[in-house]
Amino acid sequence: MPLLAVNNLHTFFKTREGEVRAVDGVSFTIDRGTMLGIVGESGCGKSVTMLSIMGLIELPGRVVDGSAVFQGRDLLKLKGATLEDIRGHEIGMIFQDPMTSLNPTLTIGTQITETLRRHLGMSKQQARKRAIELLQEVHIPNASSRLDDYPHRYSGGMRQRVMIAIAISCNPKLLIADEPTTALDVTVQAGVLDLLHELRSEHEMAVIIITHDMGVVAETANDILVMYAGQVVEHASAYDLFDRPEHPYTEALLEALPQVEGEGIRDGRLRSIPGRPPDLIDPPKGCRFAPRCAYAGLDDCAVVQPELREIRPGHWVRSRHPASERVAQPVGVG
Amino acid sequence: MLKFIVRRALWTIPVVLLVVFMTFVMMRQIKGNPFQVTERAVPVSIQRNLDRKYHLNKPWYTQYLYYVKGVFTADLGPSLVQRNQGVNDIIKEHFPVSLKLGGLAMLWAVVFGIPLGIIAALKQNSVFDYAVMTVVNSGYAIPNFLIATLLIYFFALKWRAYTPFPTNGWGGPSSWVLPAIALGHAPMTFFARIVRGSMLETLQQDYIRTAKAKGLRWRRVVGLHVLRNSLIPAVTAAAPLLGFLITGSFIVETIFGIPGIGKYFVTSVTGRDYSVTMGITIMLSLIIIVANLVVDILYGYLDPRTRDVRT
Amino acid sequence: MVTDRRSEFEATLTRTAEARGQEAGAALQRASLLRDAIHRFIRNRAAVVAAVAFVVMVGFVILTPWLSHGSAYGVDFAQAYKSPSWAHPFGTDEFGRDLLVRTALGGRVSIAIGFAATIAIMIVGILYGAISGFAGGRIDDMLMRFLDALYGLPYLPFAIITLAIFGTVNFWTMVVALTIASWFTTARVMRGQIITLKENDYVRAANALGARWYRVLFRHLLPNTLGVILIFVFLELPGVVLGEAFLSFIGLGISPPKASWGTLAQDGYSAYEAHPYIIIIPSLAIAWLILSAFFVADGLRDALDPRTRET
Repeated sequence: MPLLAVNNLHTFFKTREGEVRAVDGVSFTIDRGTMLGIVGESGCGKSVTMLSIMGLIELPGRVVDGSAVFQGRDLLKLKGATLEDIRGHEIGMIFQDPMTSLNPTLTIGTQITETLRRHLGMSKQQARKRAIELLQEVHIPNASSRLDDYPHRYSGGMRQRVMIAIAISCNPKLLIADEPTTALDVTVQAGVLDLLHELRSEHEMAVIIITHDMGVVAETANDILVMYAGQVVEHASAYDLFDRPEHPYTEALLEALPQVEGEGIRDGRLRSIPGRPPDLIDPPKGCRFAPRCAYAGLDDCAVVQPELREIRPGHWVRSRHPASERVAQPVGVG
Repeated sequence: MLKFIVRRALWTIPVVLLVVFMTFVMMRQIKGNPFQVTERAVPVSIQRNLDRKYHLNKPWYTQYLYYVKGVFTADLGPSLVQRNQGVNDIIKEHFPVSLKLGGLAMLWAVVFGIPLGIIAALKQNSVFDYAVMTVVNSGYAIPNFLIATLLIYFFALKWRAYTPFPTNGWGGPSSWVLPAIALGHAPMTFFARIVRGSMLETLQQDYIRTAKAKGLRWRRVVGLHVLRNSLIPAVTAAAPLLGFLITGSFIVETIFGIPGIGKYFVTSVTGRDYSVTMGITIMLSLIIIVANLVVDILYGYLDPRTRDVRT
Repeated sequence: MVTDRRSEFEATLTRTAEARGQEAGAALQRASLLRDAIHRFIRNRAAVVAAVAFVVMVGFVILTPWLSHGSAYGVDFAQAYKSPSWAHPFGTDEFGRDLLVRTALGGRVSIAIGFAATIAIMIVGILYGAISGFAGGRIDDMLMRFLDALYGLPYLPFAIITLAIFGTVNFWTMVVALTIASWFTTARVMRGQIITLKENDYVRAANALGARWYRVLFRHLLPNTLGVILIFVFLELPGVVLGEAFLSFIGLGISPPKASWGTLAQDGYSAYEAHPYIIIIPSLAIAWLILSAFFVADGLRDALDPRTRET
């Protein structure tokens, strides 16, 4: 049984212009101790998917349909208090911007210990002791003396480490990291990623890492899920996805990735993907990638929505024109 | 923290000097010797004696130094109209009344305004929220002389049988209620609006999402994480509010016939008792300067970021 | 109260300046920005209602004295203290003067003083703020320290002293007194705006390209603050009108038989026991103007605030 099985999740946002279908039928599973990377452009619904699972969607947003079964319980149907018991205890979450994710008016110590005391019922002293250990575990120097500092005394990278310490403090089964390195300097990004991997093996956690950067998940994720316009467009093992990408969008994402070495190094130019993601209030009838896709127009895929299908064992793709089935050249390309 | 407090406190000294100087310069612009505006002509010899007594024959900067010395030794000089009274005596007599009135008004404002703001924010767009916002909007739009007059009209005249409040004066507790409400109404709505606004803003913050993601109980999320951050604007607003309270007290004390400093200030202006006008102005400014100091220190305590950057 | 309302706007206005600077830097056409803002304003129901209410009030005070045959100055004791009726929709006062016409005429005075003082405040505030923000460094530091010292002082005593210096109360002295008492916020906000805009890349680029300082100031900086200036006109106006009403109410208004809403309210206060409508009408007129101006300011702020764009 998978640790978490998300099935047919729909989350919509009501706006003046209409209903935004931010997450439109997303399904995936993740097993214990594994790592799943969710990749996509900003606005593709990857963060909203995670917030929906955590029950953190606020009005005007609403989870309309679907289920998220975590250890036998559907998170989407749990009442507030029960869900609160799971959040931060069995599922930890860290966010994109460490500069704004910590409360500026409370000490780091308070913000770590309150989770410990809430979920594990520790006394003040116990929680404090544990908090120091946690800070050491995320490699914060002079942990004991920095416990009473306020967040503004920490750098961005350090704050993200504190966020990680809070998220893992109760030994969660699942850690959700929503773009954990996007807001950080390039020089500290690698450190934070290394830390995540280190902690994953130590704590035997499953990790979902959300990113728009294929490079972040290339080496470490077991599986990769590519999202586009609120839908899953490709889902495969990392190895298979990088080796034989099928969806034209995934191909484009990989081509946008700078390559420094290795065979098949391109002529030095990065490709960008022409066009913009579609309007999710009134999404395209057929394939949502069709307006930007070089292969669209060969058949009716721009009118009829393609299904997510298993093109080979463990490799799912939502396209009529996956790489391995292609015969024709892209339209308009020589 | 201590360093911050000391530096902040030292900064008030030039501010006080500046305010005293400005007031002094402004008062000197008022034409005519104060003793000559009285109806009775004063003989020249007496005039000279009076001038000497009050240093009016000295150059202006000497007068200014005398006055500064007076301010720092808490001696604001004599009243020009009431011969036997000093400005100190007048303040001593009337200020406690104003202080009590202001305190009660502030109490009313805090006790009702802050909870109203909190509940309205938590129940945003509910009927309760709309009701609060209606009252709040009326609070800053309706001038307090109307509120004071209506309070008297209804509670002291129309419904006299059920609500035994006097129409004026400053006797027992029953005479404190209406003036305190009249003066406190606007600050009350102000607190409600500030707290509601900052609550709504804080509820949107990333760190509130973090607090929820940590699985904290709703009570703790609101009670600690949200409130602590959204009360900061309410505290910082308290100092300018004091200025408003003072302005309002001029009107409320006049209408309710309360022998406070505000009413006396108005009397001193119309009676051309300039030394009293000046003394009261400086005293009120001092109160506000001190209040600003206290608020800044409180702010430093509530918002740790300011401790490191501020002077 | 009004002062505090203004400071509430400061934070969002900075954000507006940031976004506006970026847009201007991105070489977007200013016309389309304006169209955008107008579009957002029109879709904001509260703001549109407020704008209509504001225009209605201004129209009322301008037109009524021409259209109505009620007498504003003629004394007729037979008609004294008539309650509102068809002949006199707002009733009459102790001299039998028609209150509909008097309210409109009083409104003319109040609103005229309001606009004159607001313009004066804008000029002083913009100059001070722009100089401070544009010069930066030492000058900025000194000017701001000075402003900090004045900030939050009780404005009414200083307005009163200013009136005492002039010795008489008329239209212009009132304008000066109110301006002296309330230009600080505008200055501070303008400085903030200029500084934020100055940080934008396109201004830096202009500087790097060797543009002269006055060109940077007048071509790049000031035009981008126009929206905020407009907002502040609607924020200052009610404050000034209320300030004038307060001064008039405590007996420092312009002299009869001319009237403003404040002096009308004072007249009403002296007869509130028997004829409460006399104080209620001018007070509600003040409230009407203040509320509509504030909601217009709110709507303008939202229309110019980039954060509201998305929803």
